[in-house]
Amino acid sequence: MPKAAAWILGRNVLNIVVAVKLVPDTNADKRIDPTTKRLVRAGIETVLNPFDEFAIEAALQLKEKLGGNAVVSICTTAPESGKEVVRKALAMGADDAVMVSDPALEGSDVAGTARATAAAIKKIGFDLVLCGTQSTDAGTGELPGMLGEYLGVAALTYARKLDLDGTILRAERETETGYQRVSVQLPALASVTKSIAQPRYASLKGIMSAKKKAIKTFVLADLALDRPAGQEGALTEVVALAAPPAREKGRVVPVADDDEGARVILEFLQEKKLL
Amino acid sequence: MRDVIVFIEHHAGKPRRVSLELASKARDTADALGGKAHAVIVGGAAPAVAQIVKNYPLDRIHIADDADADRYLVEPQVAYMEAVARAVGPALILVPNTMIGRDVGSRVAARLNAGITADATDIVVEGASVRAISPKLGGLTIVACAFTRQDGYGVISVRPNVFEPRESSSAVEIVTLAKPVSPAFRMTIEEEVVEAAAELGVEEASIVVSGGRGLGGPEPFAGTLKDLADALGGAVGASRAAVDAGWISHSRQVGQTGKTISPKLYIAVGISGAIQHKVGMRTAGTIVAINKDASVPIGEFADLLVVGDLFGIVPLLTKKVREARAVLA
Repeated sequence: MPKAAAWILGRNVLNIVVAVKLVPDTNADKRIDPTTKRLVRAGIETVLNPFDEFAIEAALQLKEKLGGNAVVSICTTAPESGKEVVRKALAMGADDAVMVSDPALEGSDVAGTARATAAAIKKIGFDLVLCGTQSTDAGTGELPGMLGEYLGVAALTYARKLDLDGTILRAERETETGYQRVSVQLPALASVTKSIAQPRYASLKGIMSAKKKAIKTFVLADLALDRPAGQEGALTEVVALAAPPAREKGRVVPVADDDEGARVILEFLQEKKLL
Repeated sequence: MRDVIVFIEHHAGKPRRVSLELASKARDTADALGGKAHAVIVGGAAPAVAQIVKNYPLDRIHIADDADADRYLVEPQVAYMEAVARAVGPALILVPNTMIGRDVGSRVAARLNAGITADATDIVVEGASVRAISPKLGGLTIVACAFTRQDGYGVISVRPNVFEPRESSSAVEIVTLAKPVSPAFRMTIEEEVVEAAAELGVEEASIVVSGGRGLGGPEPFAGTLKDLADALGGAVGASRAAVDAGWISHSRQVGQTGKTISPKLYIAVGISGAIQHKVGMRTAGTIVAINKDASVPIGEFADLLVVGDLFGIVPLLTKKVREARAVLA
């Protein structure tokens, strides 16, 4: 079992850790340099993964529901240059933050990132870990499950509603056709969807006070991982990159009336053998 | 890795179509690697589901007729998958890239210390090496990913609708699994609530009819749009604008903060096709759009953009599709 934090020990303070990722700005129209085959990062800002903002909001609301008897910590594995982005999460209202920053982490795969993040979260202690369902850059949606495994706790994914009932976490978990009511004993991890709550904007007061909040940094030596990190420990590697087949501009057909519109589409679907 | 193990996702006593797609691809991949193709089915419905899955080109189906899988979230499936994988030895594990598939794949990978690569649209075997081909950054680039350890396990989550299911008459062995010795299951499913009776999720449907801001409210999603999706045998999807307005559930959202899909046919109704939507659907086979504005961005990459009134066109199209399909039938 992981180290039990305050809430479970009956100390009436819930330790919530929000695991976040820093990603290239989602609204930028990204492109790949045809020569280097890498993402062109020039002019693209680093931002908090938008999915993780929902998790921060969920953590802050949980803290409010508990009458403030919670500590919300942000945890991310990212280069030190991401510190100012982490400060934005603190400006929303999180209490403190911890970053795992080590050049040796470069080239990590999702498992490597999850291991380093889990080690940091264990070190600071937790009752509940929250995260987004996926990231907007890699978007694999695999981190929540892996993080749960490495933390040694259950990972309740796709939660659209969270409630705490003593040391039991109750959630509504989205499914393709509706939702499930799921319960789990703390300590646990939950990933939340955007339906959980609209993330708040940082207030001026929040931005000012974030400047004074602590951001702790761990290097790999602090974490005692049982496997090599970074590229050396990666279990997958990119062996080739290619440009996708271009999508040509198709036909644009203004129609005189609704019947013509329906007919044009039907004939097109028949021509493409899609009926 | 030589053998291939497929996680069979099922619903209401039937395998999901994507499970059959994976079973068929597992055959080809196992043949190329010189190994066997396995499937794992977990839950009270497992024996019934196996009767359907055995018509696909597998060597062995492992069934876990365990009602716990219906009472506890995902951990039972993970425990049985892990048990089969350990018994088989270093293998390639295929899961569907769906909500359940990702949940199973990520945990199994962590337990087996396996490499994992997501959202593959193709699997290629080169010598003894397996490569997963996946569109990344919303289809901006196509990445070929390999596993670094040939003596370890690998997990690939595979996008639905990219492989054809292929029936087979060859004999399949069905074995029953013993309950694995593993930690107690922790997440209890208290209640299952069906809000939309839709059988198909947007990730799995081969035809998706999506609505956007142009629909103006929640009613057309349940009415006009649903009717067209039903007539085509597809699922209803939505743009971020429609989800943010509260007109339809987030599970239906296509795009950057929703799902990335590759249906054979995508019909975008009243959706402008901004970059954040485009990255979720640009790998669709055929894209048809209906919009009142000829200058919307979707016109730049749709195969057909009909400029007109969606409220008039869609019901008429539904009627014509029904008539055309009735003739075909």
